[in-house]
Amino acid sequence: MLEIRNLHATVEGREILNGIDLIIRPGETHAIMGPNGSGKSTLANVIAGREGYVVTEGDIFFDGKNLLEMDPETRACEGLFLAFQYPVEIPGVANLYFLKAAVNAVRKYRGEPSVDAMDFWDLIHERMELVKMDESMLKRSVNEGFSGGEKKRNEVFQMAVLQPRFAVMDETDSGLDIDALRVVADGVNALRSPERGFLVITHYQRLLDYIVPDYVHVLVNGRIARSGGKELAVELEQQGYALYNEEPGRARRAA
Amino acid sequence: MTAIAPLFSDPYYQAFAAFMTERREPDAIARLRRAAFARFETLGWPTRRQEAWRFTDLAALQALALQRPSNALIDAITLPALETTTHRRVFVNGYFAPSLSPMQPLPDRAIVSNFSQALLSHSDRISSVLDSLPGLQSHPFAALNTAFWEDGAFVYVPQGTVIKEPIHLVFYTTGGDMAVYPRLLLALEDGAQATVVVEYQGQGRSLNAPLAELQLGSSAVLHYHQVQEESLQAFHLGGIRVHQSRASQAHLHLFSSGGQLGRTDLEVLLDGEHAGCLLNGLTLGQENQTGDCHLRVEHTQPHGTSEQVFKSVLDGAARAVFDGMIHVRPHAQKTDARQTSRNLLLSRQAKAHSNPRLEILADDVKCGHGSSTGFLDPDAEFYLRARGIPVIQARALLVHAFANDSLNRIILAPLRERLARLLAVWLGLDSIEGN
Repeated sequence: MLEIRNLHATVEGREILNGIDLIIRPGETHAIMGPNGSGKSTLANVIAGREGYVVTEGDIFFDGKNLLEMDPETRACEGLFLAFQYPVEIPGVANLYFLKAAVNAVRKYRGEPSVDAMDFWDLIHERMELVKMDESMLKRSVNEGFSGGEKKRNEVFQMAVLQPRFAVMDETDSGLDIDALRVVADGVNALRSPERGFLVITHYQRLLDYIVPDYVHVLVNGRIARSGGKELAVELEQQGYALYNEEPGRARRAA
Repeated sequence: MTAIAPLFSDPYYQAFAAFMTERREPDAIARLRRAAFARFETLGWPTRRQEAWRFTDLAALQALALQRPSNALIDAITLPALETTTHRRVFVNGYFAPSLSPMQPLPDRAIVSNFSQALLSHSDRISSVLDSLPGLQSHPFAALNTAFWEDGAFVYVPQGTVIKEPIHLVFYTTGGDMAVYPRLLLALEDGAQATVVVEYQGQGRSLNAPLAELQLGSSAVLHYHQVQEESLQAFHLGGIRVHQSRASQAHLHLFSSGGQLGRTDLEVLLDGEHAGCLLNGLTLGQENQTGDCHLRVEHTQPHGTSEQVFKSVLDGAARAVFDGMIHVRPHAQKTDARQTSRNLLLSRQAKAHSNPRLEILADDVKCGHGSSTGFLDPDAEFYLRARGIPVIQARALLVHAFANDSLNRIILAPLRERLARLLAVWLGLDSIEGN
């Protein structure tokens, strides 16, 4: 469902991704691990279409459609979701209103009428339980004053409401204690299905104890240095990235 | 002070002489007019060399051959649908329009009237207060207003009386290069309370230079709302003077989206202990509009509180000017005064000038000010888009969130909701629901 071919990308003129090839089929969960500066988050942002991330070579296809030709909102409407590493605080926009606007934007894109208020409310309540979110968070401004854990839970909650076909989780585990990690992982696992694909980006193996991937890829200097099954994550945890990382953070520092 | 240019002096002098020969009104009023006109002659037309007018370009206004308004149009005009209100006074080109002004019975001794009517029975009350409040003494358009007003609204609320329903005052201009000087005099006696909505609307090109005088007795409470949505060709140069006695509370909300040039000069004198005011402003600008606010809050007595929160949203080549002065006199200890000016620029051509000023002559006070000008947060915009929300809607949502904070301070729900709809339309949204 997601096909990345020979992807090269630059940020502010620096080469970060140096030829990534990756195929993710429906129902699969792939994990990308790598040291700091290896290009993990760049990959997530390129997939989501963030400004400032320039693809210089290669392609990304999403269900056969050229993803790189779409603006970010079209990608989302096509069923792509990015769980942000740093969810943005948006003062003055209530969480609930934001979610409804997002749900309706996707429905409009598909030619469907706006969501029925009662149906929406039911969906919200059902999904809130999934991530053990308090109802008061709905009325609060998007992520404003949320703790790190609340922000990440809110990301998974949004994903649960929007029900994308493919989700990229960008370091969703960073800054979470073990309880919050479990809640977030349970939320993701509940959404795993034969039709849905996941790309889980993480620095640590810990998250993969809870979200068990089908494949693990090691990203080093903007390239996939090695791929394997879930046991690769355990190996990395024991040996670290040193084997792959003769020049740590080269990608980040490259001119 | 700059001497007046002879080109301007003569037409104004002749116009004033002609105007005075027609007036039939008490001598006290005529004296006020002559004194005000003399003040205007001394002050002259403002120039950009004067600090207070440095960012206000009057060249386009000065080029007009302004006409004295006629009252012939009062009944011919079709006003935009006005909401049903209990007490309404409508003025067209500064003249009272009785047919558009329904009134319900008021509490005993309370007055909501127009000047020409009120002068027949309350001449002393009006002439004792009119133009007597301090403030705006060097404002040429305030002087012109006192010299040239045709009619105006008079609101009087006696001691301890509460008028619950909002008093709705509409000042409509019909264009045609007329110079209109609407007047408003509002006096709340001790413990009185009132809610007032003043709307400036119109079509075409004209100068509208209203002057409002608001007097609050001890412990009086006023909720005052000014909505300036004149045509995009209009010039609006308004003044507001506020005088507050002990423990009075004034809540002033200034909303503005109209006029090629829209400026309000507001001076508040907190002249009694424990007096407090909230000055809340929101200016929307697009194309070549200039939205301009000059505020002066003067603390003369201890334990006063004042809060100024002024925001602008600027698109196209619009400009906003904010000049806010907090002046704390030596005696005004324990003053708590705050001021915030925030400008959101939606285009690279838009510009905001912010000039916060503090003059503190007392040593035991809390005063603070902050000012910021910036573009929309690209991270927030991307976050919304990454959830499927189209870029135009995403930007509108963020602007709405910025501006809605000002509207949320308005307690009067129907007005707040009307302004929220106006904001949504301004942003090109169908509606903003339940945020």
